[in-house]
Amino acid sequence: MNRLHPRIRLLWVARAVVFALVVGGLTSAAVLFAPFSIPIYAPVVTGGFFLVTGVGFALLRYRAWRYELRDDSLYLQRGVFTKVNTVVPFVRIQHVDSARGPIERLAGLASTIVYTAGSRGADVSIPGLTPDGAEDLQERLKRLAIRAEGDDAV
Amino acid sequence: MSHLSPLSVPYRAAQRSVSIVFAVAFFVFSGGAAFGGFLGAFGGIILLGSLVLAIAGYELAYYQRFEYELTPDTFDIRSGVFGRRNREIPYRRIQNVDISRNVAQRLFGIAAVNLETAGGGETEGSLRFVSYDEALRIQTEVARLKRGETAGEATEPDREVLFELAPRELGIVGALSFDLRLPGLVFVFVTSAFPVASSYIDVPLPTSGVVATALGLGGLVLLVALVSWGAGFVRAVVNYYDFRLTRVGDELQYERGLLQRYNGSIPLDKLQTLTIEDNPLKRHFGFATLLIETAGYAPSGDSRNGSSVGRGSEAAIPLARRERVRSLVDDLEGVAEPTYERPPKRIRRRYAVRYSLALGAIALALFGANTLLDRAIPWYVPLALVPVAIVAGVYQWRHRGYGLTDDHVVTRNGFWKRETRFVPYYRIQTIIDTRTIFQRRWRVATVTADTAGSLSLVGGDAAAVDIGADDAVGLRETLNDRLRDALAERREERRRARQAALGVTVDAPDVSEPDDDEATEASTDDGVAETPTESAGSDDSYTESAGSDDSSTESPDTDDSSTESPDTDDSFVWGDAVETPDEENEAAVEDRSGTDSDDR
Repeated sequence: MNRLHPRIRLLWVARAVVFALVVGGLTSAAVLFAPFSIPIYAPVVTGGFFLVTGVGFALLRYRAWRYELRDDSLYLQRGVFTKVNTVVPFVRIQHVDSARGPIERLAGLASTIVYTAGSRGADVSIPGLTPDGAEDLQERLKRLAIRAEGDDAV
Repeated sequence: MSHLSPLSVPYRAAQRSVSIVFAVAFFVFSGGAAFGGFLGAFGGIILLGSLVLAIAGYELAYYQRFEYELTPDTFDIRSGVFGRRNREIPYRRIQNVDISRNVAQRLFGIAAVNLETAGGGETEGSLRFVSYDEALRIQTEVARLKRGETAGEATEPDREVLFELAPRELGIVGALSFDLRLPGLVFVFVTSAFPVASSYIDVPLPTSGVVATALGLGGLVLLVALVSWGAGFVRAVVNYYDFRLTRVGDELQYERGLLQRYNGSIPLDKLQTLTIEDNPLKRHFGFATLLIETAGYAPSGDSRNGSSVGRGSEAAIPLARRERVRSLVDDLEGVAEPTYERPPKRIRRRYAVRYSLALGAIALALFGANTLLDRAIPWYVPLALVPVAIVAGVYQWRHRGYGLTDDHVVTRNGFWKRETRFVPYYRIQTIIDTRTIFQRRWRVATVTADTAGSLSLVGGDAAAVDIGADDAVGLRETLNDRLRDALAERREERRRARQAALGVTVDAPDVSEPDDDEATEASTDDGVAETPTESAGSDDSYTESAGSDDSSTESPDTDDSSTESPDTDDSFVWGDAVETPDEENEAAVEDRSGTDSDDR
C-alpha cells in the first residue's frame, strides 16, 4: 500500500487554515456590523473551532489515504468518517489524466485522475503525488490498461 | 446517400412556425393596432407571411443539405445549412435505435429516428424526419450491418414475441400507477388561486375544532390520492397502450404508446443490467416490473416521460406475472434469482432504532410547535408508532440481500419499492466499498458494483447494503476476480468465433479457463494465493526498468520528508508497489498474436 506524499498534509492544512480565517473574518464582520450584539470573542471561537477541526480532519484524511497498484486493478482506500474502498480494474480504465493545479504547483505536487465509463464519473483521483510520480503513475496505468485489453469497456 | 422524407419539410416548417408565428402575431397585432387599424394589420400579415416563407425556405435548405448513408461499417450523417457537420457513427458503438411518432407524424406517415451511443449527454444521431418504412429499414439495417453481414445476404432473423400487454393487464398497470405531479400542479395552482378566490367568495373556513381540521386534511389527502391515481392511470395507458416486446435475432424491439408510438431496439450485447421492481401491492397480487438498462441514454433526457415503471424509453415490461418476469430474465441473461445472503441479524436493531429516531424527531418538532403556537397539538401520537418502526426494521432487513450466481451478481433492496438488480460480472466498471461511521459501529459495509448503465445515475447502482465487514472485503475481491475471469472468457470466446469464421483451425490455447462452477471461496482463495508468488517474481523485473527513474527523482523528495514519517521511504518508491504477473503478460502477448493472425 502506498501513502500520499507527506507534503499533501501541508496543502490540506493550509486549506483548512484559510477556511478558518475566512470564517473568523466573516464572524468579526458580523460582530462589527450586526444590528444585535454578538459577544466579542465569537470570531475567535468560530475560527478556532474550524481551525482545530479542519486541521484535525486534514491530518486524519492523510492518515486514511492509501492506494495500491495490484496485479489487475487499482485499489484506493480513503475517507475519515465514511471509509471508501474502491477497486478500479485496469480493463475498465478509459483514460488517465495527470493534473497540477496552481496551489499544487506551489507545493510541488500533482494528482492523477482515472476515468472509467461507470456512472460515477471521475470519481477516482489520487492527490499528493510528486510531478514525476504522477506522470509515472499515469504512464504505468496507461500501459497496464492497454495490456489488460478490455473490449468495448461499456 | 439518402435524404429525409420530403414530407418532413412542411411538417418541420409548420412545427417551427407555430411557436414563432404566435409570438410575433401577438406582438404585431397588439402593437400594430396601436398604429391604427387597417395599415398596421396589413403590415403585420405581410411580416408574418415573409417570416413563414423564410422558415419554409430554411427547412427546405435543411432538407436538401441533410444526407445520411449506411456505409458498410459506419452510419454517416452530413447535415447543417450554414455550419456543416459530418458525423460517422460506427455500428458497433450504437446502443439503441429508437423510432417515435406522435399523432401528427402518424398522419403524415413520418417518424423521428434517434441513434444512441454510450458517450455524450445528448442523442448522437437524430433524423427528423424519415418515412416510417424507412425508419424501420434503418433499424433493421443497422442491426444487420452490426452483425457484419453485407447488404446482399439479407437473412431475415427469426422474430419471437416475448411479451404482449393484454388490455386487462394494461388496466392493472394503470390501476397500480400513481402520478404525483398533477396533484402537485393542482396544489400550487390552488394555493396561489385560493387567496384571490376567497376575497371574492366567502369560503367557510373550518376555523375551529380539531374534527373539522382532521376532516379537511383527510379530504385533501383523499383528493390528492384520487387525482394522482387518475393521472397515473391515464399516463400508464397512454404510455403502454399496445406494448409489445419482440426478440429479433440478437436484438430486442419494443413498441408502445397510444398517442405517441415508440419503437426502439436494444442489442442484447449492450445490455447492462436487468432490474425487477415491485411494491407491496404488486407483490401481493404476484406482479412485477422489469427494467432493461443500456448505456445509451442521456441521464435526464428521457426521464421526463417515464414513471416509476417506464423511465423514459428504456424498454421495460410495465407489468407481468412474477413468474413471467423471472422466465424473461432467464431468457435474456440465463440467470435465476439466487438465494440471498441477508445482512447480519443485528442490523435489524439498527433499522428499528433509525425509524424510531425519525419518529422521535417528528414528535419533537410537533412538541416544539405545541409549545410555541399555543395550540393543542397531539405531539405524542408519533411515539405510538414505535412498534411499527420495529416491524419496519425487520421488513427492511428481510428484503435486503445479495447473491452471486455463475455469471451475475444479484442485489435486492427496499420494501416499498423493492429492486432486484442483475449485473453480469463483465459489466462491472468499478467496485466501491463504503463504511460510514455508523456502519463501522455495527461492523457492516456497503459494496456497490458500478456499471455504465444510465439508470444508475438516478436510481442507484446494484449495492449489497449493510453486509458484514468481512463479507464485504470478500465480496469486493470476488467481484474483481470474477470480472477479470468473465472478460478473459469472453475474449477467448470471441477469438474462437472469429477464427472459426475465418476457417482457421482452432488449436485450443491453454489460457486457464475460469471455472464458473467453483464455489466463491475457492476462487477467491486461488486469487489470493497466486498473487504473492507472481509479485515476487515480477518485482525484480520492474525495479530494473523503473529503478533509475525512481532513484533520481524521488530522492530529493523523500529526503525532506523522512524526518516526519520513517515508513514513507519504503512505501513511496513506485516500483515496489507494482506487481506484473508474468503469466498475464504472456497471455496478453499470446492474445495479441492471435488477433494479428486474424487480421491477416
